[in-house]
Amino acid sequence: MSDRLTVAVVGGGPWGQALALAARRAGSEVTLVSRRAPPEGSELKHEVELGAAAASRLILLAVPSSSASEVLQALGPRLDGGHFLLHGIRGLVGDELAPISSLVRAHTPVRRIGALGGPVLVDELRAGTPSVMVVGSHFQEVLDASREAFEHDALRLYMTRDLTGLEWASALTALLSIAEGFALASRAGPGIIAAFTTRAVHEAARIAVAAGGEQSTLLGLAGLGDLLAAVNQPGRPEVILGSALASGLSLDEARARVGLRVEAIELLPRLLPWAEAHKVRIPIVSAIADAVLKGAPPQSLIRRLMTEPQSSADRAPRNSAG
Amino acid sequence: MRRDAPIFRFNDARGAIEDEVVRRVMERVGDPTALLEDAIYNEVRRLSASDSEGELARWRSLARRLRTLDPDARRREVQAIAREHAHDVSGNFDPRVFALATRLMPPVLGALVAPKATFTSLRRLLDARALADRVTVEGHTRQVARLVEKGTVVYVPTHLSNMDSIVFGYALDLAGLPPATYGAGKNLFTNPVLSFFMHNLGAYKVDRRLRHALYKDVLKVYSCVLIEQGYHSLFFPGGTRSRSGGVERRLKLGLAGTGVEAFARTAQRGQAKKVFFVPSTINYLVTLEAQTLIGDFLQDAGKARFIIDDDESSRIEKVVAFSNKMLKHNEAVVIRFGEPVDPFGNRVDDEGNSLDARGNPIDPLSYLKNRRGELVVDADRDAQYTRELGEVICDAYLRHTVILPTHLIAAAMMNRLREDAGTSDIFTLLRVRQKVGVPWSQLATDATRLRDALREQELRGRVVLGPTVREGNGDTLLAEALRAWQGSHRSPVLEEVNGELWIGDATLVFYYQNRLAAHGVALDVLAPRRERGAA
Repeated sequence: MSDRLTVAVVGGGPWGQALALAARRAGSEVTLVSRRAPPEGSELKHEVELGAAAASRLILLAVPSSSASEVLQALGPRLDGGHFLLHGIRGLVGDELAPISSLVRAHTPVRRIGALGGPVLVDELRAGTPSVMVVGSHFQEVLDASREAFEHDALRLYMTRDLTGLEWASALTALLSIAEGFALASRAGPGIIAAFTTRAVHEAARIAVAAGGEQSTLLGLAGLGDLLAAVNQPGRPEVILGSALASGLSLDEARARVGLRVEAIELLPRLLPWAEAHKVRIPIVSAIADAVLKGAPPQSLIRRLMTEPQSSADRAPRNSAG
Repeated sequence: MRRDAPIFRFNDARGAIEDEVVRRVMERVGDPTALLEDAIYNEVRRLSASDSEGELARWRSLARRLRTLDPDARRREVQAIAREHAHDVSGNFDPRVFALATRLMPPVLGALVAPKATFTSLRRLLDARALADRVTVEGHTRQVARLVEKGTVVYVPTHLSNMDSIVFGYALDLAGLPPATYGAGKNLFTNPVLSFFMHNLGAYKVDRRLRHALYKDVLKVYSCVLIEQGYHSLFFPGGTRSRSGGVERRLKLGLAGTGVEAFARTAQRGQAKKVFFVPSTINYLVTLEAQTLIGDFLQDAGKARFIIDDDESSRIEKVVAFSNKMLKHNEAVVIRFGEPVDPFGNRVDDEGNSLDARGNPIDPLSYLKNRRGELVVDADRDAQYTRELGEVICDAYLRHTVILPTHLIAAAMMNRLREDAGTSDIFTLLRVRQKVGVPWSQLATDATRLRDALREQELRGRVVLGPTVREGNGDTLLAEALRAWQGSHRSPVLEEVNGELWIGDATLVFYYQNRLAAHGVALDVLAPRRERGAA
């Protein structure tokens, strides 16, 4: 085995390609495992067969959450306890909103699992402009291996042991970014955007804590940081979607404008009953759901924010299963 | 009964094991000064509160001399303390005593839980009826019997009573398995009879009063060395007896965690010795210390009274009466072995091969390879593997909980009380006086319904019903539970008055129903608060 870490990126969509390029730039030996060919001149090895990923010690899963289960089931028999498996998926699976790491645990023998999140954009990774990501794992060696695989002058990885919190932060900030799109398109003032952003992060923290994550993760780069970035990322898919809805397009038209799959839309209808079952108050997510799913005017989000009854003083979310 | 397990040669190996423990502990010593200061601080604090003048003087003298010692001398002090601890911890195993003890297990059982027992009372205890008819051993016993030949087996049962270690030891013998070594609280060694048996049955001493890091290191290394050398071991990963009566839902694992390190160390030496964990449940129809334990739980004083040494188990008459009475019932104790797993929570087959979720073989050594592919011991990694193993063990506890009539009837009664009182707040429930008695037929019907719901769970592999519960009806179960409780505790659990049932001691009803709390059919005030990892 060479001295450099070998990395396989499973999934050849824009996100998978961008992460593969980032790892290559960091000096890793990278194989892109996908039916699609890697970009011309990218120095990425290419394999079509899924099982080829097993030849690398670090495997990064970058497929849509809806196919994660299927891919992991196919990959499982080829893996062993020596693999490190990361995913960069901003989704939660099924009605129980299982994080992807729990699917990895269920379908593969891999234990050393991690996730990538944070405010990085596909275009930044492709272009190699300075940006940051967050890597989460219960295992320090997975955090170290991820930094070794991806970090270089233009990409820094911040580490957290709170894998669950990171996975929820990624899914929830994606969802909340839709509302940043509403706000931007409705020319909301900075104070309103700040209020919305911080309230939204607190709501996300309540949700994540109920799911077993840590509040501090949501209040950090993976949550608040990611959402702050979204305010200035008009090219982010969720923001585009929100802006399109705010301009009066239907959901289908807005989706067409994004051109990419937006996981957050699929998360919304499952998150509402989940929050109810876990007794978590989610006024902002409910308002987003009304706008996205029921066609309520997105501008009403601001009205909801202004008139939402305040529940005494805002206390820190309780660490409870609800 | 197999006599080729390493424990039968323990006494010859004892000196070498202590040497190895000291060598390893010293290998880990970074800053001897910090270790000594920690030991001095903790020991002076502990001993000042007791009246051990001699010991105290010794530590104070070390404290005074410490500044004058050069680094080498400090290391020598550490080594001397480590050696003393290692010697104090290490047990003994006498095959002749073992043979005697397995025949005399009922009296030993009594003695175990009675630190104040004397030789006179031992003779009285000899009249106790044979345990064999009353103690049931079930589950994956056949597979465990294969695995003791293939590697080191680490038993990790639930913990309810001070009777557990001896009952479990007896269960191993009943199942034809070699004895396991185990760490027993030093407080259990205070009575001469008990101490004699404990010492000679492979128990080693754990002194929970000692809080300093060096002592904990010695314990961990000792446990690790024993596992590496193939000594089958018994740990209660809950750390202490369940105060609530509920099945443990979060584990510290503590010393059991050394099993992962032990496997990694043998692998690193190129002599991988497999380690198999066997999650097991110990299920009592009635628990000797129920009243004290649940009282402690309700006072939320679990931490303050980590070592309870004045409960029912310290009164010999109580123990004798209890044991005699307990052993009159069928299914008095049911020990159930869950499916064995490797240190990474993978199931294993009869040959000891690890299997993934779909039953494909998987190499356990792969979990020990770092990102360069080298086999390494990594404390941080192994701590996380241990946490995840704890989750697997907790899940096994739920699936292998054996429901006995007392648990079922208590749950039915508590459900009835909740409905009548219109609340599920336990402190309200314990305070409200029952306004009307529950007619026998009503409770029997409830019990049948509850049993049927549990039967469904059993068919899905989520719980196990004891034969009486599985085959009986509400009437017989109610009668059996009342018989079992009769005279077992200071106050009655349930009382029958003119065909109606009245709660005698609501805390005990709560205690027994807690065995079902995690299965969604009973009041659950025990669910652990969500925190990252298994802590």
